[in-house]
Formats: sequence, structure tokens, C-alpha cells
Amino acid sequence: MEYILKNGIVYDPANNIAGEKKDVMFKDGKIVENVSSDAKVLDVADKIVMPAGIDPHAHVAGPKLVVGRLYRPEDSRKGVTSKTDVCRSESGFSIPSCPATGYRYSRMGYGTVTEAAMPPLEAKHTHEEIMAIPNLDITPLPLFGNNWFVLQWAKEGKIDEIAAFISSWLKITKGYGIKIVNPCGTEAWGWGGNVHGIDDPVPYFDVTGREVLRALAQANEILGLPHSIHVHPNDLGHPGNFPTTVNTLDCIKDIEKKSSVRDQTIHLTHAQFHSYAGTSWRDVESGAGEVADYINKNKHVTCDIGQVTLDETTTMTADGPMEFDLHQLNGLKWANKDIELETGSGIVPFIYSGKAPVSSFQWAVGLELFLKINDPWQVCLTTDHPNAGPFIRYPRIISWLMSAERRQEMMDNNEVRVWSYKRTSLGTLDREYDFNEIATITRAAPARIYGYQDRGELTPGFNADIAVYDLNPDTIDPSKEPAAIEKAFGNAMYTIKDGQILVKDGEIVKIVPSRTLWTNVQGFEEQEKAVMEEVMPTFTRYYTVKFENYKVHDHFAPNPLVTTVQAGK
Amino acid sequence: MAYEPPVTDYDEIVENCTCAFCGCNCDDLDFLVKDGHVVGVRHACRLGASKVMEDMDQRLLVPMIRDENGDLQEVDWETALDKAAELIAGAVRPIFYGWSETSIETMKHGIRLGELVGAVLDNQATICHGPSLQAVQNAGYPVATLGEVKNRADMIVYSGSNPMNSHPRHMARYSTFPRGWFRQRGRFDRTVITMDPKYSDTAKMSDIWVGFEQNGDYGFYNAIRAALKGKEIDQDFVSGIPKEDIMELAESMKNVQFGALYFGLGLTHTLSKQRNIDMAIEMLVDLNEYTKWVLTPMRGHFNVNGFNIFMAYEMGFPYGVDFCRGYQRYMNGETNTIDLLTREECDVFMVIAADPGAHYPGGAVKRLAEIPVIQVDIHWGPSTEIADVVLPGSFIGVECAGTSYRMDGVPIYMKKAIDKPETCRDDEWIIRELHERVQKIKAEEAATASK
Amino acid sequence: MKTIILTLKKKSQIALEFDELIPDKVFNWDKAVFENYQVPVGNRRFPLTDYFDIEVEGSAEGPEEVKMILDGDFGRVKYIGCKMSAGEIIVNGDADLHCGAEMEGGKITVNGNAESYAGREMRGGELEIKGNTREFCGCSYIGDWRGMSGGKIILHGNAGKQLGECLSGGEIYVKGDCDILAGIHMNKGFIQIDGDVTRWPGGQMKNGNILINGKLGMLLEGLVFDEIVINPEIDGKSFSGKYIKYTGDIAVNGKGGLYLNAEKNREYL
Repeated sequence: MEYILKNGIVYDPANNIAGEKKDVMFKDGKIVENVSSDAKVLDVADKIVMPAGIDPHAHVAGPKLVVGRLYRPEDSRKGVTSKTDVCRSESGFSIPSCPATGYRYSRMGYGTVTEAAMPPLEAKHTHEEIMAIPNLDITPLPLFGNNWFVLQWAKEGKIDEIAAFISSWLKITKGYGIKIVNPCGTEAWGWGGNVHGIDDPVPYFDVTGREVLRALAQANEILGLPHSIHVHPNDLGHPGNFPTTVNTLDCIKDIEKKSSVRDQTIHLTHAQFHSYAGTSWRDVESGAGEVADYINKNKHVTCDIGQVTLDETTTMTADGPMEFDLHQLNGLKWANKDIELETGSGIVPFIYSGKAPVSSFQWAVGLELFLKINDPWQVCLTTDHPNAGPFIRYPRIISWLMSAERRQEMMDNNEVRVWSYKRTSLGTLDREYDFNEIATITRAAPARIYGYQDRGELTPGFNADIAVYDLNPDTIDPSKEPAAIEKAFGNAMYTIKDGQILVKDGEIVKIVPSRTLWTNVQGFEEQEKAVMEEVMPTFTRYYTVKFENYKVHDHFAPNPLVTTVQAGK
Repeated sequence: MAYEPPVTDYDEIVENCTCAFCGCNCDDLDFLVKDGHVVGVRHACRLGASKVMEDMDQRLLVPMIRDENGDLQEVDWETALDKAAELIAGAVRPIFYGWSETSIETMKHGIRLGELVGAVLDNQATICHGPSLQAVQNAGYPVATLGEVKNRADMIVYSGSNPMNSHPRHMARYSTFPRGWFRQRGRFDRTVITMDPKYSDTAKMSDIWVGFEQNGDYGFYNAIRAALKGKEIDQDFVSGIPKEDIMELAESMKNVQFGALYFGLGLTHTLSKQRNIDMAIEMLVDLNEYTKWVLTPMRGHFNVNGFNIFMAYEMGFPYGVDFCRGYQRYMNGETNTIDLLTREECDVFMVIAADPGAHYPGGAVKRLAEIPVIQVDIHWGPSTEIADVVLPGSFIGVECAGTSYRMDGVPIYMKKAIDKPETCRDDEWIIRELHERVQKIKAEEAATASK
Repeated sequence: MKTIILTLKKKSQIALEFDELIPDKVFNWDKAVFENYQVPVGNRRFPLTDYFDIEVEGSAEGPEEVKMILDGDFGRVKYIGCKMSAGEIIVNGDADLHCGAEMEGGKITVNGNAESYAGREMRGGELEIKGNTREFCGCSYIGDWRGMSGGKIILHGNAGKQLGECLSGGEIYVKGDCDILAGIHMNKGFIQIDGDVTRWPGGQMKNGNILINGKLGMLLEGLVFDEIVINPEIDGKSFSGKYIKYTGDIAVNGKGGLYLNAEKNREYL
């Protein structure tokens, strides 16, 4: 099937196209340079055309999600919709059901989403949920930062073993890259403790976050993985944590990048939660300036923000101890799941309210980071869904970034409290994002950061993943019309995925099954064999499942998109 | 117990099969297969082994329909499936119940059928750990996988649960006896406490037995929490336990390195039901201020947790999900099976991989006897006695592969080791067939209506 | 003033759902609209006229001018008055589940018994039940720590288990007896029980007040003796008599109040 999107205003940052009126053509699921006269014409005259959205960090599929849904029926009840001819019924506000997740991203023009934290022992569960989410390509990142094997080898400096382990485990779990959450902290939580800063050794294993970060970063480059290490640093959410963040980014700086498909060697996730100065919630101030400064000066770093949206939401991360602290702070019901030999997680509902000083402060810190980091190729738009807010708020965040007036209005109207400008420099920042920068932080940058070679751009040969928004960039002034910006980005005029029209005028018109993106490392077979021999005795003695039953069987990923890399190349 | 010599006459061993009985989902079973039958099972407990070995005992082999005289007559698959589809399509308040002993793959078709006709989907949690889930919804859910307990725990508490009878390998393979990474002396590195009005078999081999009064669970846990907060207990006895013992217990629970609480129907089914667990969960959260504690409900079937997980990720609610208005609703007391049966609202009932005839309260079974019941199962049982259409399925984990979720949420893909009897069908196939046939009936109805 | 009278002529075994027939939605309906209405029953809809004779008199500009009279045994009609904001509903018989749930205003009178979940998540208005009710009267939606937050429930008969669970405001008056765990998880609001209470009122309560004039069967350790009070004043209301006051539930660091009538509960002195 051939299509031509006619006369749209195209934003394709990877190809340096920033608001050019041009046609976009696709055939049989791929972008092409030409189509025949038989091509179906879609009139998108003067409408914004971009690659489909790519979310580099969200929690959408896996065990934590189910615990969240199970223990928050009051959240499930909030988002219930009736089934239609095309869609099944939806549920959930901050934790949507799997069908709802697919539909809601699709309506916003998104095509690819990362599931940011997959525990290897329960990877099959993540893949089951991916199968239940329609209309998206999903990239799971397995967790390694508190894995007993990794901790031991990191202590011993055995980087090659770690590399072989990662190479094996990506195949076993069908994962894309290396996710690190509160390195050493979640293992300390196995005893009810935590670590502070990157040089605090974890009990028994006696290894520090710094050592784990360096070991995994080196392993990542030895394998030449398409993505860099993806890091949720220690000390999340604590006033005075920005030095830990900067140290985390700095401690791997010397490690040489061995991949040509990306620019960074470390991706910092939900940076907002890691950018606080001060010493307590009484004297807390923004540390966004320091963090942004470091990122501006260091091209080996990329980040996503984790912007607070001022909603009642649910926090869920693999940072078990942080979640317990949060529960002690707000008294709301706490869930926890520790996973043998591997990792842990915690869940607590949270209400970010514009009436609360702390929430207002956090809201401002996120925006500060967006506005102070100069290069949009180093920044991605996320809310760490659902932690800082549900992903359906991305259009609202876009409207804030594009309108200094709106931000000021919120501060003037008491929609947020005074801490938003008294404890941060947000009140002094009048930078406004333009559509090109928005396209960068929501499409082009995430694609490059993940090393995707088939999406994020409207380059011939790439997937025909395209979004069209009902906005005329020549006539609309985003700084004056935030509501219109939010509405348009929330209801795509077209969402096209692999050349199929899935959404028209904000309504789902077609359902397609999701696909799973994972990385298959070749050329490491000998090392993998050797490392498995080392792993097996421990596995057999201390896990509670048999190794044969541990892996993710092929039928759990019936639509895989495998990226093959040659180790060491 | 008579001595039985080891089985030596077999053709092959299928290793690492998963047990299809309780929520331990032991995945280290070796099936000894001869002539297409399992003649021996290694590593399973008596419950699991007997289920696998007795697979042909009172086996349902042929579809049946109950005739006007009330007798079950054998029919072919087409007839039986058509009859079942007709009943489902015509129902105003259908319930699809069970699911806990079949695979996730089967449930995927079941939910589509439920959404299509506007049924209630429910599973054994509604008569079992439903109160646990309700408590979790109010109080939280601090859990850990079984291996965490094996490797770290130095205190195990069983409350209202008797694993020596209900989950025989729970203590042997997971919680108490194994040598864990940090507990290399196994049993000797751990203290085991049973809290149970009964002096059960588990109590007999525990270090401490706390035999509080029947129905006294809520008051007892509240007293422990009060003691944890530093209160001098006023009453001399709380729920039958002397106050000194309560204070000592609270103190010892505070001073372990890693405690694990496992609980069962003793909490879910006595007076305060979900509030017993609510209180126990909150007690555990209190304890986490001092040291590390986790809990897990002792799920009784190998896929009861699986159904709750599946329903939660598809529809946001764990069980008792009502689609009658075109969207999902969850309201305990309104959308649960037992209430719908005792209120005589349910008019067609499909049971798959469960035995309500054996497990339901009398008032509910009475209603089942009055309405059409479709049974998808592998064995004849009390439910067959009240079924009107019987569809013989296959044995997940032995004859058919499938995904299941252990009590702690770990997913396990159960293997197929032997072929099913020729006249039986896979559960997944049966439900998919029903779905397709009901779709056809609905389409025909719509076409007729629009004329 | 518009008066709508539904007289039961056939009781359905499968419960009807009346969430669409509240004053807010029907104030501008005439009789013909009612006669065309299809009421949800299980997974179908059937004509309202299958079950009721319908009379409509007068007119209304808004829900506050509506009076609905439901005559007969409504024990299989769920969601009566659910989410209503104004107007009056009188049930001359029993009412099924969720009567008055999520009410914001107006008044409902049930001249019979009400099933469970009466007044669930109420925000305002008044719900009066002449008979008994079952579990979870005036409670929250499961999982939500914020429950009934306003309005008044008056129960002339007995209350079942978990009355006022997660109460976050409003008042509940029970003239009869009450079963276990009244006021469990409550954090605001007032519960008064004139009859006897079986066990454990105020379990896990964070705040709010419970006053019991009858005999209490079993008290929780989490409720700590505070003082003896004479003629207490609670939330601006005056009570006469001698009461034993407890605070708690200390298990949740609670600061709620439980007042036990001293005369009836001498053994606690």
C-alpha cells in the first residue's frame, strides 16, 4: 500500500528539517522517496508532521504494574471507558490496563515505548504484558545494578565476565540494554537498608555504586550495545542529592564509547528527582543548575526529565528503599516486591498538588532542567510514568515548554506555590521550546539515544512511523495558546505505524499487535559458555526455579524486532 | 505407610516439569513416562504426585449433555460446543468461574468471551484469598519472592496456614529447610512460629506455637501492634494469649534480621476476614521500621495468582470482574460469584478448572443445581453431578503446556510431557471454539434484529 | 414540583440498575420518556414498564424539584439515588445494594431495609433507613482511603459489619445495634450507635469520633483509656451522660475518640 501525506509542515530533526512544507511518502510500511500515482493521498495541508513519538522511559509492562493495578482498584476505576467496535474497555488513570496503555499512547501519536525496568526472574510477565498492549513497539530494559553475580564480579574487577553475563542475559530475558537502579541500594534494601552516594559499600558484597557503574559501563561498551547504560542514580528524591547525580555521571566519563549509533555513554533517567540541593525538606533548593551545567559541558551524558504533572499518581520503581521512605512521608499504602538474587521494587500512591510547596518545587525543578539544558539532543520528555505523572500528560508538558507566559501564569495564579520560584530559578527563565525542539526531545533524541536504526526519523528506508497533529505552525502562537497545543498533541490527526493508519482524529481506527525490541549480541559465544559454567552452581543452589524454566521462551515474544550487534565492534 | 519400591520401568524422563497442584508451582519435577503415561514422579510432594499419577482416575473423556431425564449422555464435540455456546449467548447474567487450574493462554480466550457477552469473570480467589486481595487494596503489599526468604530469612511465621498439609514442599524447598545463601545451616538458622488456633502439623514442628482464640486474629494482631508502639497491654489475655507472651513476641519479631509471614485461610475466613490480613499487613509495615519483614499469601492453586495477575493487566481488577454494562466493574458483594449465586441472579454458569460442587457453600450449590452449568474439566467430580454440558479438557503441565504464576508472582511456563487422550481437547481450544461460536450467534442475532 | 411514582408490578430475580434514573437525569422526563426507557438488567436492557407502573405529575426546572416515590419491594433494584445531587427519593419497601452511594445532596428515605453499601462514598445530603442495613454502610470504594466525606446517614434498625469504613467526614447515626469493626480506618467524621456493639469499634482509626450508648462486647488494645467525661461535647454536638473516653487506634498513631456509655459498660471502668 502506498500513501502520500501531502503538504504537511514537516519537523524531522535528524534530517535537519525544521518546519518545511513537504510531502512524506511511504510504501509497504517504510518511508520512501517516491510513490506511484496509485498512492492514496492524505491531505495534511499545513498540519504538523513528525516521526511518531518515542518514549525512552516509562513503566508500562511487568510485575510492578500488576501489583499497582491489583492494589489500587480506586485508580483502575477512574479511567474506565466502555468498549467500542474497535477498542476494548479501558481502565486506570495513573496505572492504565494494558489495552488502555496502547490506545492512549497511540492517540498521542506515539509508536515506541521503553519498559524501563524488567526483573529477569519475572521477564516472562513483562513480555506477557507487552503482548497485551496493542499498537506499540516496546523495548524492555532488564535490571542489573543489584544483581548478585554483577555485584560479585564488580568487586573482583571481572569486567569480561560481566560482559558475557549481560550478553547471555539479554538473550535469556529478551532485553534491549542495561538498566541500573540505585546501584547497591536495592540489595541493601534486602536487609531493610540503603546506600548513600556512590561510594557507600553495600553490606556483605562490599562493593560500591561507583564500582558497579564503572563495571557495567565498561561491559556495555565491550559488547557495543546500541543503548548506553541507563541509570537511576542513588539518593533519588533526597534534598542535597545533586552531587551524587553529578558524581554518577562523572565516574564513568573516562570509559570509551564503542558504538557509532549513539553519542552517550550514560543516560540519566528522571533527572528531576536527582537535582535537589539543600539538606532537608525545610531548606531544599533546586540543584537543576548544577546538573544542567554538567550536562551542558559533557556530551557523554543524555537524560530524560521525569516532569511532575501535578496529579494524583502512583510511584513505582525498583528503588525499594526510596519507596518505603516515601510511604513513611505520606502514610499511603505501600507495596514492595523483592526479587531473589536480582533486584526489588516498591510502590506508593502519591498526590502532587499545586497547593503543596514540595510538589510545586518539584514541578519547577523539572522545567528548569528542560530550560537550562541547551542541546535538545541531550534531553527527552518523560514523566517516569507513572512516578511523576501519567504519560497522558505529555501534551500538557509540551504546552508548558512552549509558553513562558503559561508557566508564569501558573506561578502568579497560585496554581503552584511560591516554592516554585523561591527555591528555583524558574521565574527567571523565559526560554520557549519551538516545534523543532519538541520533535527532538520526543522523537529524534530518544531514537539516537537508543541507537535505533529504523525509527525516529523520516528517512527513506526507515519505518513509516509518523504522527500528524492538527496545528498550523505558521499561524499558531504556542506561547499564547497552551490549551490548543495540549489538545492537538493529545489527539493526533493521524498516527501511522509501519505504514498503517492506527489513529484518525484522535480515535483509534485500527489495532495491531505490539512488537518487542531486544538485542542479540553475536561473537561472544565462547565467553558466554564459560560464564554460564561459573553461574550455574550458584543458580542451582540459590534460585527457587530451575534454569531450564528461567528463560523467556520464544513464544513470549511472538513479534520480535531483534537488533544484532557484533561484540567489540 | 507401606514401602513402595522405586519405579524402574519407564521409557523416558521429562525433567523440570512444573507441578499443577498448589501455589508453590514446584518446577523441578521429573516425570517418568512409559507408554504415554506418567508412571512415576520425582521430587513432588504427595499431593502433586498423586494429581499427576492419577491423571486417568475418573477422567472425563467424552463430551456429554444432560438429557430430559437428568442423565448425562455422550455426544460429539460439535453438539456439545453448540449447546454450550447457545446457553452462553442467551444468558442475561452469566458467570465464567474457575480458571485457577488452567493456563494463561486459555484465560486469554475466556476474557474475550466474557467481554463479548457481558459476563462476570471470577476465580477461586472469590472463595479463598479474595479477602487477602481486599486487604492488600487497603493496606499495601510488602512481598518478596520465595528465594529471598530462602536466602535471608531467620524467622518464618505461618498464620492461619498449615503448609505441612496444604503446601508440603513450602518449608522443604523454599522457606525453612533449604540452605540459603545467608542461612547455610538451613533449619537451624531459622525460628519457625505458627500462629493458629489449631495445634496443626505445622505447629507441631515449629519452635513456637501461638494458639490464639478462634476469631481472635484481629484483636491479637492489634495487640502486637500496640506492644510495638510501646504500650503496656491492659488486658491479662488478648484473644486467649497472655499479655507477657504478646509483648515477648513483639520484641522478638523486632529483633530478627529478616522475617517472613505466610498466611492462609485461617485469616481470610474467620470473623474479621479481610481485616485480619489488613491488620497483619499493617503490623508488617510497622515492623519494617525496625527490621526487614515480608509476607506472601499462601495461594492454593498453581494458577489462582495467575488469573488475578492476568485480569489485573488486562482489565485493572483482580477477580470478580463484571462486564455486563460494557466495561469492567469490581465490587465485592455485588460482582462476586457466591453473592450472585445466593441471590439467584446468575442464570448460566460456566466452570473451568475448578470444582464448585465440592467447594461452594450449600446455598450457592443449590442455585447451581437449578441453572444450566457448563463444565470444562479433566476429572469427574461433584461439579459434574450438577453440570448440564461437560467438555473434557486437558491437563496443564502434563498433557499441555501453559503459563502459570506462582504464589509470589514468578511466572513459570509449564511443559507438556505426554499427549492428552484422543477424545479430549486443550482447554485453550475449547474456550476459543466457544468464543467463535458465540460470536457467530451474536452476529446472526444482530443481522436478524436489523431487518 | 414533579412527582414520579414507580409502582412495582414484577420483581426481577436479576437486579435492575437505577443509576440512570436519578433526579439529576430525569427531572425533564415526561411519562412517555419513562415508558420508552430500557433499564439495565444483567447484560441486557429491558423496558422499565415490564417491571413498574409509572405515573408522572407536574414539572421541574431542576433535580431539586423532583420527588420520586418507589412503591413496593425494591430489594432487587440497585443504585437507587446513586450520585444524585438534589431532589427526594422515597422507597416504600426494601432497597438493594448501593442505595444513596456517591450522593451529593438531596434526601433518600427507605421505609424498609437496605442492602450493603448504603451511602457508600456519600458527599452530602441525607439518607434515612427505617429498617436494617448490611455491611459497609457509609464506606469507601475498596482501596480508597478517602470514604464518605459528607452528609448524614440515619439508620433506625441495625447496622452490619464495617459501618463507616474509611469515614472521612459526615455523620452516621445508628439507633439499633451494630456489628464488628464500626469506623474501621476512619479519619474524620462522627458515628453514633445507640444500641449494642459486638466487637472492636474504631479499629485502625486515625481520627474522628465514635459514641456508643449501648453495650460493647470487645474493645481493642489499640484504644487507650483517656478519661471519664460527663456531658461531653463532640463536634459541636452535646451529649448527656457519663462516658468512658478512649483515644486511638495507637497502632496507627491515631488520635480518634471512642466514647463508651459508662452506665452500660461498667466492666470497663
